[in-house]
Amino acid sequence: MKKRIALMLLAGAMVVSCLSGCGVKSTSDTDQNGEKQKLYVVNWKDYGSDDADFIAAFEEANNCEIVNTYMSSEEELLTKLRTAKDGEIDVCLPNCSILPAAIEEGLLKEVDSSKLENFEKMFDRFKEQPECIKDGKLYAVPFVWGSTAIAYNTNLIKEAPTSINALFDPQYAGKITFRDDYNDAVMTAALVTGQDANNPKDMDAIKAKLLEQKKLNKTYWKTGDEFSKLFASEQISIGMMWSGQAAFMKQEGQPIAYVVPEDGAIGWVDNWGIAKGSQNEELAYKFIDWMISRDFQYNWAVNGGPAPVNQEAADSLDPEYAAGAGMDETSLNRLTFMQYRTDEVKQTWNELWTEVKSSK
Amino acid sequence: MNNYKKWLTAPGTLTLLVFAVAPLFIMLFYSFRNDSGVGFTLQNYVRFFEKSFYLKLTGRTVISSLTVTVISLLISYPLAYIMAKKLKGIRNIVLMLIIIPFFTNQLVRVYSWLIFLQDGGVLEEMLNVLGMAQDGLGILYTRTAVVISLVHIFFPYMVITIYIALERIDNALLEASKSLGASAVTTFFRVTLPMSWSGVVSGILLVFVPCLGCFVEPRILGGVDGMFIGNVIEDQFFEIYGWNFGAAIAFLLFAMVLVAMALIHRMGGEKQ
Repeated sequence: MKKRIALMLLAGAMVVSCLSGCGVKSTSDTDQNGEKQKLYVVNWKDYGSDDADFIAAFEEANNCEIVNTYMSSEEELLTKLRTAKDGEIDVCLPNCSILPAAIEEGLLKEVDSSKLENFEKMFDRFKEQPECIKDGKLYAVPFVWGSTAIAYNTNLIKEAPTSINALFDPQYAGKITFRDDYNDAVMTAALVTGQDANNPKDMDAIKAKLLEQKKLNKTYWKTGDEFSKLFASEQISIGMMWSGQAAFMKQEGQPIAYVVPEDGAIGWVDNWGIAKGSQNEELAYKFIDWMISRDFQYNWAVNGGPAPVNQEAADSLDPEYAAGAGMDETSLNRLTFMQYRTDEVKQTWNELWTEVKSSK
Repeated sequence: MNNYKKWLTAPGTLTLLVFAVAPLFIMLFYSFRNDSGVGFTLQNYVRFFEKSFYLKLTGRTVISSLTVTVISLLISYPLAYIMAKKLKGIRNIVLMLIIIPFFTNQLVRVYSWLIFLQDGGVLEEMLNVLGMAQDGLGILYTRTAVVISLVHIFFPYMVITIYIALERIDNALLEASKSLGASAVTTFFRVTLPMSWSGVVSGILLVFVPCLGCFVEPRILGGVDGMFIGNVIEDQFFEIYGWNFGAAIAFLLFAMVLVAMALIHRMGGEKQ
């Protein structure tokens, strides 16, 4: 009898622990405004297109409704594009890591930049971004950008670091946190060893540098939340960090400063594309034009969003705020933007990083 | 057994076939797949043995898992024994206390250890109050932290299996042993331990096997040196979509588990 009670308790406990592990997903796809045109957008959650304050004006002006579907990874977006039926996706937001694959497979429509009033207002670098173009044709429009560089605690470090080498500096031993990500690790070590961060040749030098760096860390971090905890409890004083989260933490009142150092750091760009099966092309163009407009980009940037591609929006920002969030033109020009990589390169880089992490 | 009663096992069997056996074959399929997507290859397995660090990491994972298992056993056996043989009224309350942690999400428990063990954290404060002040414990972000959290997560399984085995032993046998002149120690080693051995074996399996494959605790608590082989599999699946290589490592781990189970079961068989 007692055995049975014990087993029941155990079984019950297991069920409960399973249940608590998975959240309940809810879809709020109410179909109240039947006549309104719908624009189907695939985007990250809380990434501009689902902010009611920002999009209300657009929805009203065009008598439409924006229906967001969220992606949790770039690969997932690629799968969605491959499997979507016509009309299921109008606009989506691939970054440069999957964009060439999406274009190659014919998943995106060619974009006519003359239909976008704001296209010419972008920084030149974004008008000619190689990943968006194939055979001289444009397939995607840059939306926002950011960087992965250095953040430090201004209470603990008085002098701003000027080199990416700070993450490799024994002066901060035990107080550094590096990111557990093969791409960030290899690219950063390539910058430090003076190589082209997108096409490093001397992988042994990179491995040696990362092994040397490993001993200086408090720990590696993977999710933004892990970094926040390390920072808030002052376990670390300096670390690799994303521009967006550093700006957010600063707004929260943390003593954090963000630097894109003189010798460079890693940059990324998110781009809007129009899905091959879109039945709403005209509205899709209007939407993209709105997303890269000065007003939208400025408003989002000052409310904790990533850096604008629209030069007018960037110029309107408070210079001090922009510099502090790594959104200024000086930071932009220092970045090496992450490029598309083949699976083979990914495997090689990942294996190198695994070796670094698993060595004693 | 009546024929219709046999059919009552159908839902369970079907669930296992669909959600455990079939996925294993899918994984086996991937583990032999070529990265180009065409044809089959042994390359995924070869790659694991080509680079020495995969094997070394597996070795360290086994050692850490064994450490967790041994510590769990040392904690669990006395506890289960006292519960089964010494406690009367409050037995179920103690059982509840052991099981309550199951009601908390595993990730929450991992983060609790983070806060407890970190430098300037709860444990350090407690030691300070006791006058054993030590600046910077240095426990968090080491393998020790991973072992501590894994013991906390898995030892209840061991307590329960051993408790059930001990519960089944007729007290009259223990009394008989004593009245025939055996000392407490002899009684334990000649009667109690052999008769509860099946519970010990199940407990070892329930702790050792999941430890081998864990990856959350090492990533959050393990720091730069705390990596387990499970993290390599995790990275393959989530970071670079290297399903083929990931599946091959997972299968090698699976094979190790089968060998370990066979060994442990043989141990169990001899004792009974």
